[in-house]
Amino acid sequence: MSSRTMRVFSLSSNCWNLQPQGNKGRKRTNKNLRGQMMLSRTRTVASKYPRLLVRQLATVKAAPKETDVLIVGGGPAGLTFATAIKTSPELSHLSTTLVDAGDIKNKVGSFYDNPPDYFTNRVVSLTPKSLNFLEHHLKVKLMNERIQPYDGLYITDGCTPATLDLEKDSMLYMIEILNIQSSLLKKMQEHKHGLKLIDQTKVANIEYTDPKDPQSWPIVTLDNGEVFKTRLLVGADGFNSPVRKFSGIHSRGWFYNTFGLVATLKLETPPFKIRGWQRFLPTGPIAHLPLPGNNATLVWSTGGEALSRLLMSLPAEQFTTLVNAAFILDDADMQFYYKQLSKGEMTTEELVKDVASRKEQVLESLNDAGDDMFVDEHYPPLVSDVVENTRARFPLKFSHADTYCTDRIALVGDAAHTTHPLAGQGLNMGQGDVEALVSALEKASMRGLDIGSMLSLEPFWADRYPFNLTRLGMADKLHKIYHTNFEPVVALRSLGLNLTNMIPPIKDRIMDTLTGKY
Amino acid sequence: MMICNVKCAVPTLLKRSFSSTIVIRNSVVTTGATSDEVSHFKDLAPTWWDVNGSQAILHRMNLSRLDFIQRTLRNSIPLTSGKPVEEGKEEDIYVPGFNYKEFFPEQVTEAVRDDINDSVNAHLKNMKLTVLDVGCGGGILSESLGRLPFIKHVTGIDLTPECITVAKGHSQLDPMLKGKISYQLKSLESTKGKFDMITCFEMLEHVDQPMEILNHSWKRLNEDGILFLSTINKSLVSWFTTIFVAEDILRLVPRGTHHVNKFVNAKDILRWFQNNRMGEFELLDLKGVMYIPTKGWCEHNCSDVGNYFMAIRKIKTKNNNSV
Repeated sequence: MSSRTMRVFSLSSNCWNLQPQGNKGRKRTNKNLRGQMMLSRTRTVASKYPRLLVRQLATVKAAPKETDVLIVGGGPAGLTFATAIKTSPELSHLSTTLVDAGDIKNKVGSFYDNPPDYFTNRVVSLTPKSLNFLEHHLKVKLMNERIQPYDGLYITDGCTPATLDLEKDSMLYMIEILNIQSSLLKKMQEHKHGLKLIDQTKVANIEYTDPKDPQSWPIVTLDNGEVFKTRLLVGADGFNSPVRKFSGIHSRGWFYNTFGLVATLKLETPPFKIRGWQRFLPTGPIAHLPLPGNNATLVWSTGGEALSRLLMSLPAEQFTTLVNAAFILDDADMQFYYKQLSKGEMTTEELVKDVASRKEQVLESLNDAGDDMFVDEHYPPLVSDVVENTRARFPLKFSHADTYCTDRIALVGDAAHTTHPLAGQGLNMGQGDVEALVSALEKASMRGLDIGSMLSLEPFWADRYPFNLTRLGMADKLHKIYHTNFEPVVALRSLGLNLTNMIPPIKDRIMDTLTGKY
Repeated sequence: MMICNVKCAVPTLLKRSFSSTIVIRNSVVTTGATSDEVSHFKDLAPTWWDVNGSQAILHRMNLSRLDFIQRTLRNSIPLTSGKPVEEGKEEDIYVPGFNYKEFFPEQVTEAVRDDINDSVNAHLKNMKLTVLDVGCGGGILSESLGRLPFIKHVTGIDLTPECITVAKGHSQLDPMLKGKISYQLKSLESTKGKFDMITCFEMLEHVDQPMEILNHSWKRLNEDGILFLSTINKSLVSWFTTIFVAEDILRLVPRGTHHVNKFVNAKDILRWFQNNRMGEFELLDLKGVMYIPTKGWCEHNCSDVGNYFMAIRKIKTKNNNSV
C-alpha cells in the first residue's frame, strides 16, 4: 500500500522528480537484492546523468549524522516550527536540522536588515491568533513598518448588488511572507545551540534504517553528500512534498482549473478606509488588500489558463485599468475587454476611455448625486500602477492528506493541505499545525516519550485534521457557489449574503472564523 | 526466598503479557519456564512495542502514569531557592494562595505561573534521581522514565528472560537512553542498593501477598524517596469494568488476566502503612483512573472505585536505618 522506500533524483534545479520505488512485493526482498535494484536504477539514470551516479555512490558510504528533528522546507511553516522548538523549554535540547532548496541564508536573511523599497508580491493575511503565536509565544520581532492591520472586509457579488460588510478594528494583518521568514531567521540567531540550517540543498533520497521496520529512524541523503539519521522527519515541503510521498500518506484533491494572479499595486491616494475588498466575479474572486502607505496587494483568481496569461502579459496601464474596472463593471463588460485585448483589437487609450464611460454609467445609476463619499465607501481605492515584476501566477488547488503523521514523520502546512486563497486561510492553517505539533511534542517530552513515535504525534493530527477539513471545505464550497452565473444559484447566494449581512450573530461568527477565533 | 521469587515472577508475566494466567502461574511455580512458555513469549515479543497491538491499553495507560509521576514530583518540590539561609531566619518567598487566578489580572497570573514553573524547573535540573522499576516487562515505563532529564538511571527488574531480552533490545534503538537504563533478570528481594523512586505499576493485583511487595520496596527506598504504585480496587465496579466489559465483552484484554479476589483496595494499602510504617510515610497523592475509549486514561477523585494511582513518600526519621 505504501512505498517505504523512495528515491528522488533532482534532475534540474527547479523541479522535484519523484520516483517512488518499492511496493508490497519489494518489501520482502532481502538486502542484497534491494542493493542491486538500487544500483540498476542508479545506472539507468547515470547513463544520462553521469555526475549524479558519482554523487550517489559517494554518499552511500558516508556515516549518517544523528539529529532529533529534521525539517524539510524553509517556508513559513518550516521556519516557525524550527523556531518554536528552539524557544520551547521542553524541546530546545533537541538537535534540529532544516533543509531547504532555496537561498535562505542570503536572500531571505538579508531581507530583515536591507528590505527593498517596494513590497514583494507574496503577501498573506495573518490572523490575530497566528500573529499572537509569532509575537508573544515565540517572541519574534516582525518588521512592523511592513505590516498593515486592516479594519474590515467588504465582500460583494459580481453578478448582483449583494454585499457583506464586516467591520472590526485590526481584524487581520497583511504581511509579506519574506517578512515572516526573515524575522524568524533573525530570532533563531539569538540561540546559542541553534538550528543547523542547510540551504540550497535538496533531499536526494529517504529510506528507513531498517527497511522492514517503519519505526526505525529515517536516513535522509542530501544532494550535497551529507547524510542524516533522524528521530523525527517533518515535512514542511509544500504541495509536492517528497516527505509525504516517502511516508506513503495519500493526499486527495483536485485542481480548480484556476490560476491565482498576484501583484503589488500602487494607489492614486492612500485609502480612505483601510479594509480589504473582495468581489466574486464569475471567473473567480478578485481581492484588493491594503499594505502600508499607498500600496496594496492583489490576488485575482482567474478561471482558465488563457485569462491569467493575458493578464500577465498586458502592459501596466491596461492591467491597472482592468483591476479598477473589475470592482465596478459587470462581467459582460469584462468579458468584452478580455476578448478585445487578447485579439489585440483595443488600444490602451480606447480601453481607458471605454472603462471610464461605463463606470460613470454604473455610478450614475446607483447614485445620481455622484457623491465622492459614496464611491469611497463602496469601492476600493483606485490603482495607479503595478510594481514592475511583481505580477506572478500559480495554479489553485484543493488537497488534503489522509493523515498528517505516521511513525517518525509529521506533515505541516501545504504538505498536508492546500486551499483556495479566497478565505485567506492557507498560511494560517499551517501556523496552526505548527502550534499543535509543538504542543503535542512538548507534552510527549514531559511524558518521556520518543517524540518520533505515533503516541507522541497522534494528538497533533487529532487536533488539526477536523479543523483543517472544515476550513478546506468552506473555501471549496465558496469557490463552487461563486464560480457560476447560473441564475438560481446567483439568486440564492445573494439572498444568503444579504441575510448574513443583516443578522449580527451570523456575521460575528463569520468574522471569528476568518480571524482565527474558532 | 523461593516464595518471594514466585511473587515477583507472577505479576510481570501476567500484567505485561495478558496471556492465559493459570498455565503461566503453574509453570512458574513448578519449573520456572516450560518450552511452551518460551515459545509463547517469543511470539509475543515482537508485538510488545506495537502501540496498537495487544499492549495498546498499557501504552495508553503509560501516558497517564507519566502525567501522574511528573505532577507528583513537581508538586513535591519546595519553592525555595535552595541556597543556604542564615540561621534563625527564613527564606523570603512568595507563596500565592490556591485561588490566586481569580483575583489577579491575566498577565499577573501568567507571571506567577511562569515564576513557579521556572523555580520548579531549576530544582528539577539539579535532581539526579535513581529509579527501580519493579516488573519492568518490555520496558514501556522504564524507557519513558529514562528519557526524563532529571532521572539519572533506571534499573528495570523482571523475572521473565524474554521480557528482559525485548526490553534490552528496544532500549538500544534510542541513543538518548544510552547508559540510562539497565535491565536485570532478578527478583525484588535479591536487588541491592537504594533508590530515589520505586515504581510498582499494574502488578499488585497479580500477587498473592501484595503487602510483601510493599515491604521489600520500602526497604529499597531512600529517605525522601517516593514509591509509586497502581492497582485495582476490590469492588463490583472493578469486576464489571476490568473483567466483564474489558475481558469478556470488548476483549481489550485477553480473558483470565484479572481475578477479583486478587485486587487490592487502596484503603488496605494505606492501612498496611499505618500499621507497619506509622510515622515513616506521607501519602502524596491518590487518584482513581478510568479508561474512556476516545480520550484514553483519565484521572478522577473516586479512588476507591476501579483502577487507582498512588504516590507515597518516605519521610526522614531517626529510626529508618534498618535495611
